[in-house]
Amino acid sequence: MNRATFFTLALRGLTRNRRRSLVTLLAIAFGFAAIGLFAGYTHNIYDGLARGSIHGELLGHLTLNKRGMREEGKLNPERYMLSAEEVAKISALVASEPGVKLVTPRLSLSGLISNGRASTIFIAEGIEPTAMNRLQEGVLTREERTSGIYDGLIKKLDPAKPIEILPSRGLFDLLHFSQEELAPMLVSTIAGQANALDGAIGKPFDAGNAGLNDKFIFMPLALAQSLVDFGGADRLTLLLADADQTEAMRAKLTQKLAAAGFDIEIKTWQELSDFYNQVHTMFDMIFGFIFAIVLTVVVMSVANSMGMTVVERTREIGTLRAIGLKRSGVVRLFTLESLLLTLLGCAAGLLLTLLVRYGINAAEINYTPPNNATPVPLLVDFDGVRILFTFALMSVVGTLAAFLPARRAANQPIVDALGHV
Amino acid sequence: MSAPTPPLLRLHDVHRRFHLGETTIEALKGISLDIHSGEFLAVWGPSGSGKSTLMNILGLIDAPSSGSVQLDGRDTHAMADDELTGFRSHKIGFVFQSFNLVPVLSAKENVQLPLQIRGGDLIEAAALAERALIDVGLADFMHSRPDKLSGGQRQRVAIARALAVAPRVVIADEPTANLDSENSAMIVELMREMNRAKGVTFIFTTHDPRLLAHVDRKILLRDGAIAADEESV
Repeated sequence: MNRATFFTLALRGLTRNRRRSLVTLLAIAFGFAAIGLFAGYTHNIYDGLARGSIHGELLGHLTLNKRGMREEGKLNPERYMLSAEEVAKISALVASEPGVKLVTPRLSLSGLISNGRASTIFIAEGIEPTAMNRLQEGVLTREERTSGIYDGLIKKLDPAKPIEILPSRGLFDLLHFSQEELAPMLVSTIAGQANALDGAIGKPFDAGNAGLNDKFIFMPLALAQSLVDFGGADRLTLLLADADQTEAMRAKLTQKLAAAGFDIEIKTWQELSDFYNQVHTMFDMIFGFIFAIVLTVVVMSVANSMGMTVVERTREIGTLRAIGLKRSGVVRLFTLESLLLTLLGCAAGLLLTLLVRYGINAAEINYTPPNNATPVPLLVDFDGVRILFTFALMSVVGTLAAFLPARRAANQPIVDALGHV
Repeated sequence: MSAPTPPLLRLHDVHRRFHLGETTIEALKGISLDIHSGEFLAVWGPSGSGKSTLMNILGLIDAPSSGSVQLDGRDTHAMADDELTGFRSHKIGFVFQSFNLVPVLSAKENVQLPLQIRGGDLIEAAALAERALIDVGLADFMHSRPDKLSGGQRQRVAIARALAVAPRVVIADEPTANLDSENSAMIVELMREMNRAKGVTFIFTTHDPRLLAHVDRKILLRDGAIAADEESV
């Protein structure tokens, strides 16, 4: 029997018991839409977190520091910090590599900040103001920029204001700061001496993380260097032209710097962003759980539907066998029918995904995730890769679910099938 | 003197036993039978006499427990299922008591189905199906689905389906059992016409002695054995 005949018979077969076909199709469609929407939601979360880590937390794509800095740097900063000369040499080597968009030194510090009446601890990042602006390029999507709800996340140091510091919103409120007010900061220098300097309070920003929002400060690198009395940096941050080249660039730079005599450790933004990894792992597990449930429902729906179909059409199967359809033809016919049902269900599910996605995105729903300082919009992306994967897997599983009932039908003696009531 | 024509179908000492729990029922008890090409033959007898079992074996959709069946000189016993299915699709047409048409296909699609199953060209199959439906007087019902046809019309479609593949033999098990007497006579008459026009062998079973008037040969089965095998005058 040629393909067109199989296809016609299978398609017409679906119309035999329309209600049952529709119920099975809807079960597949809703399952597909559940997976498609959740995949789209997590895709949006992953994308947002990636942008938040690379551009929002200013991690860049790669971070370079002396090997051991993370473990021993606090106890022995002089040994593990990068001197101004080292910063210059490494920066030159790294910047010459095609694909590196930006390389900038960074310096972390902590201490006490006061409003003249009360003091509190702070954690600060020293960064060159122009580099800070470049690192933040791309932190918001066009929709997020126009929505305005993320305006507080953008932080800008003015290169013309050498002692300007940007406090996080919580810290700004805690010490009742006002903009352009001078706030004394007390820190420990690299040599262990106390050092104090005034910073001019700039526009507060949302740290994005509730734990950091009452203690974080950005300041110009030069001011940070003055505070710790060290002209170098503790690390270099790299921004790449293509995020997909992160791993390849790490390998290339590790080799290049080692060849130049530098014992440098390079970390990717994923390795440094624990939050991203935790959220990714958690959502991957939830996705796997939902996927398994939906797949089970699809398999059971299709197997049940095809099992009933086979029983109802036993006499027809007997007739087809009598007039010349081989056993393999019967199996092929019913698995094709199941494949068509699954494909139609997936197509309906895809349509449902697009409609619900449009509705959710248009509704402009905001929510505040745990540990977040600000609300975020509930947005659903179109995760083409996982939708395609779901489409393919469901089609395979839906077809396999019909295999056993179809084989049972094919193996029935023709006479018994013809006599079925 | 010319050699005698070999039979189209030859059954030799065919037994068919069914096992129901510990009980064994012997539905056919050593049937030996030759059926020649072009015959129009009725198998008749009371219920439970083994008519349907014999028809199933003649149609190669069941195998004897012992004995042999030859169609066109080939012993069917040694054939694997796929070979037997292919053999059936080329040599045998079936007409069933309950018509057994595919309800979601039109009359024409039902008739061309065995041709397509056999792997024939779609256009050629459609043309043959149209021809077969015209032959059985259903030119105006080609695109009607079975549920829009009367019982007699459905059985005509079934006969057209059986004949479309140009079989050597048509096996019709109780083709008139679900029809009124007028339609029954018309169906037997139609089969007779086709037998004469196309030279196709017809073997059918019936309860109705009135239909036996049309046949060349009638075989009376009783308790699984041939009680009488008579040529009509």
